[in-house]
Amino acid sequence: METIPQTTSLSHAPTNRPWLPKQVFLVVWRSLMTIFRTPEAILPPIGISIFFLVIYESTLGKASGFIPNLSGNSYLGFILPLSIVSASLSGAGIAAQNLVRDIESGYFDKLLLTPIHRAALLLGPIMAGALILGLQASIVVSIGLLLGLDPATGLPGLLAVVGLAVLLGSGFAGFTVSAALGSGSAAATQGASFIFFPLTFLAPTFVPLDLLDGWLKTAARINPITYVLEAMRQLLNSGWDAASIEKGVLACLLLAAAMYALAVFALRARTRRS
Amino acid sequence: MTEDAVVVEKLAKHYPGDVLAVDEVSFQVERGQVFGFLGPNGAGKSTTIKILTTLALPTSGGARVGGFDVVSQAAEVRGIAGVALQEVGLDPLMKPLELLTLQGRLFGYARQQAAERATELLELVGLSDAAGRRVGTYSGGMRRRLDLAVALVHQPEILFLDEPTTGLDPASRRDLWREVRRLNRELGMTIFLTTQYLEEADELADVVAIIDRGVIAAQGSPAKLKASVGSESINLAFEDRAVAERASAQLDAMAESLQIDRDVVRLYLPKAAEMIPAVIGRLQGAQIEPLSLTLTQPTLDDVFLQVTGQRLQAAEGEAVPQA
Repeated sequence: METIPQTTSLSHAPTNRPWLPKQVFLVVWRSLMTIFRTPEAILPPIGISIFFLVIYESTLGKASGFIPNLSGNSYLGFILPLSIVSASLSGAGIAAQNLVRDIESGYFDKLLLTPIHRAALLLGPIMAGALILGLQASIVVSIGLLLGLDPATGLPGLLAVVGLAVLLGSGFAGFTVSAALGSGSAAATQGASFIFFPLTFLAPTFVPLDLLDGWLKTAARINPITYVLEAMRQLLNSGWDAASIEKGVLACLLLAAAMYALAVFALRARTRRS
Repeated sequence: MTEDAVVVEKLAKHYPGDVLAVDEVSFQVERGQVFGFLGPNGAGKSTTIKILTTLALPTSGGARVGGFDVVSQAAEVRGIAGVALQEVGLDPLMKPLELLTLQGRLFGYARQQAAERATELLELVGLSDAAGRRVGTYSGGMRRRLDLAVALVHQPEILFLDEPTTGLDPASRRDLWREVRRLNRELGMTIFLTTQYLEEADELADVVAIIDRGVIAAQGSPAKLKASVGSESINLAFEDRAVAERASAQLDAMAESLQIDRDVVRLYLPKAAEMIPAVIGRLQGAQIEPLSLTLTQPTLDDVFLQVTGQRLQAAEGEAVPQA
């Protein structure tokens, strides 16, 4: 504490802020570091995904013979995508919880006082959440393999399934991050994360789309999750099908576009000086 | 860049519900100065600092920091201003070097430079020993010091400190004072600090502005402000009351007012220190020997009382205590 170090002078202040990808890399790295320091936030969702996978497989697996369109295909391959989608939801929740912690601790304001690009403030938590959910989805897929899953498209197909999960989850994250920015409160953000939960059931969740009817079928048709589930199932049970993958990817992109627009709006509102 | 470090012109801030936080204040802070913004809670100090550091917008009027407009040149202001707000903004899950390094890199330092700067700043604020611990385990004083280090990462020309020692124990407070003085004296950093502590303003500030209910009530160096209250006194103690009365007869004409309190004579007069030789000369001429002589100077609290009509401590008591 006795002498001021030589380099602490007023003449060395940096002048160039790093370009956006570098900033995003820095904040994503930092988000991941803090996420891994709270394992209590990432482990339970993985446990729950695995729990449901095992339960669905053992209780409904035998009934698969009664589902006409499933004939010859494994129920595990049919139900695994549901577990993966659930993992995507929890990954999105983690992204938002991180952001809320920053808002509550005042660290978010500290970042605002740096020359950080506003986009990095959004992409940081979203991309960190996407990476975490990719990891979670991979773990769930691995458990599926242990339970006897035999994917029709092999390892590349599994990677495509995880890729779809990451795309879908980052769309969800756009929404939860908006809720975090809008509310600045952990409880409200948590509540908002649950909105997507019913969406996973307004979909051909347990039986194929053809077996649904009435309003549920209508809801399922406009639910982006439907197309993601179907694309994943196609990959796991039937084989490569460009049309189904395109629909799945398109559904993810549309969702992400809408949610990111919302997030940009929420960020503007939060960072607007008044 | 010869303009004053901070120039505030008719700055006003209204909050919804007809709350007037700052009412057309104007003042300047010279480069290299420590400027103390003194006032009770709710006087408009934090609002002013938030506007000056680009975190809030003025309702009317304007301000320039380092020659940059705080409204239209916010990015430039952030580049040259460092800010430690009243509530620290630190991620409890991170370790201090990680925080400082990330901050440095976002400001454009290369990895190695940022790491060196982080180590150096942690040493500067005396937290090297706690480098391995997460910020969540830090005490209030340690967090304040780390927050100060974060504010210094980009080597600001002007440092804004919003009530830097509120809630700190006396030892931590003195540590922080020493740090502030060093930054000012050794690096020539301009420092703008708000405080509700008279002794803090007196101890640190070259110039003090007293703000009360959104208005600047008085401004000047602590010495000048205290002199303006004019209640300096020379206190002379004598053997007994009789001697004291004889002395007072000699001195009566020299003082603005005079008071005898048993064997002590109090002479109230401006520039008391300069008058001591004359007072002693007069007593010697009359062959009266005082037992002791002390000089009492007015405190900033007296100044505060005079300009606002209330004691700062009393005003503080009415306000909501800070978390």
